[in-house]
Amino acid sequence: MNPQPEWLQTRSTADDRGASYLSIQDVNKTYRTRNGDVHAVEHADFDIDEGDFVSLVGPSGCGKSTLMSMIGGLETPTGGRILVGGAPITAPRRDFGYVFQDPTLLPWKSVLDNVLFPIRTQKRVVADYLAEAERLLRLTGLWDFRDKRPAELSGGMRQRVAICRGLINDPRLLMMDEPFSALDAITRDDMNLALAKLWDEVHKTAIFITHSIREAVFLSDRVLVMTARPSRIVADIRIPFARPRIDTMQDEALFSEICAYIRDEIHQAHDKHVSR
Amino acid sequence: MKLIHRLLGIEAQDIDGLSRQILMPVGFALAVLLLWEGVTHVFSIKEVLLPAPSAIWSRLQESLPVLLQHAWPTAWESVAGFLIASVLGIGLAALLSASHTMRSMLYPNVVLFQLIPKIALAPLFIVWLGIGFESRLAFSVFISFFPIVVATLAGLDNVDKSLLRLCRALTASNWQVFASVRLPHALPYVFSGMKIATTFAIIGVIVGEFITSQAGLGYLILFASSQADTALILATITVLCVFGLVFYGLVALAERWTRTRFGA
Repeated sequence: MNPQPEWLQTRSTADDRGASYLSIQDVNKTYRTRNGDVHAVEHADFDIDEGDFVSLVGPSGCGKSTLMSMIGGLETPTGGRILVGGAPITAPRRDFGYVFQDPTLLPWKSVLDNVLFPIRTQKRVVADYLAEAERLLRLTGLWDFRDKRPAELSGGMRQRVAICRGLINDPRLLMMDEPFSALDAITRDDMNLALAKLWDEVHKTAIFITHSIREAVFLSDRVLVMTARPSRIVADIRIPFARPRIDTMQDEALFSEICAYIRDEIHQAHDKHVSR
Repeated sequence: MKLIHRLLGIEAQDIDGLSRQILMPVGFALAVLLLWEGVTHVFSIKEVLLPAPSAIWSRLQESLPVLLQHAWPTAWESVAGFLIASVLGIGLAALLSASHTMRSMLYPNVVLFQLIPKIALAPLFIVWLGIGFESRLAFSVFISFFPIVVATLAGLDNVDKSLLRLCRALTASNWQVFASVRLPHALPYVFSGMKIATTFAIIGVIVGEFITSQAGLGYLILFASSQADTALILATITVLCVFGLVFYGLVALAERWTRTRFGA
């Protein structure tokens, strides 16, 4: 076997745990069904440092969305614990932002009002956030569309509105659950570039879920590779590309090498499962 | 009914669309009236059996003061019945949507009540509330209430699950979810229930007037029937139709206004 490439990280040791912003410690999620228990997530165990853009990449059904829901406080782990700044998560937090697979915009509200929806819901003063809303909408090229209804926008624009909405309350962590998976390939590439550009401006901690390996490598500072049955993390990769991320990065040999490594990890686990 | 909705919804439609939506149905109706007119003359049908449209029209003109005088109680009772039913219906639907207990207790019974031929209960209302307007109003409320409850509840329930998840992630309160997501989402449903309810409210009042009344279009129909004045019966029904259309049109206008102002 080849020597380990330097971008492949070894698991963090037990004694430096808890120093990170977000600490996922031996987390399990088991659903009880009539046909027996379903282990959606098994032994998820990793830390996330503040400021890192971290992708969870893996096949469908590997439990990555469940894991994100637990980090977001929308579901409770059946084992282990998740700490934010040392305190366990028990419910959704107001200093988190969320972007889901569907844009989930309110169809009867304008783009601007949709972006401000979390502010109104959390009873913050809207006037304090108008400038931030304008900044985010300008960064995503949506300012001219601020008075439009979601139905008047394209799928990519709607998802950009959802990202602005996720960022409006200046969250410490933004969670994105396959935000681009419903878009066509070309739009998706555009969205990746737009998101990379946005990240050069907002510098936030992010957890990004995807089953596109290239997308994960292009956007992230770190990629966690998950496999299904058993659901576990098989590789932890620090992406050695500087920011700002540019399109041509995807043509570099190292980029392809990392993508190939991740693909192999996922396929190996899958083959093992199939041959069992 | 659809025609009126379309009429109110005319925007920049091309001539072909206009002719399909307006000229064709109106033209067909006129043709039927002409045929009716012709048949009554050619076969010299007695006016007591089937008066010609022209005879109904002249009866309508000569009896207009009487018709309008009787239209008033029917109109206000059905509009008031409709408004009360709307408030109660939307209120009950909100309650059922908010409380699981209430829903388990009440909703199956609401559905069961839906199945009762409600007109059969009209005499009970006379027994309970007497022969004044109260019994007709109450019966009108009773009969127009159900479509509003059922439609509103469907709208409140039918909200996208992912929107509810977003609300949970944003730590929205139940009240916020109701006011900013469920209710605006339900508006089109509420109005479709209300549009059905306009007709039901009128039916409620007319049935009440059939049973016992000294005034109103229902009373006038019964009276004309006792006089074998078929032209007056049909003239009264024409007035009822016009009232029904205006009533429905006003609700459709209210819907347009509300939806451009608040919702989907």
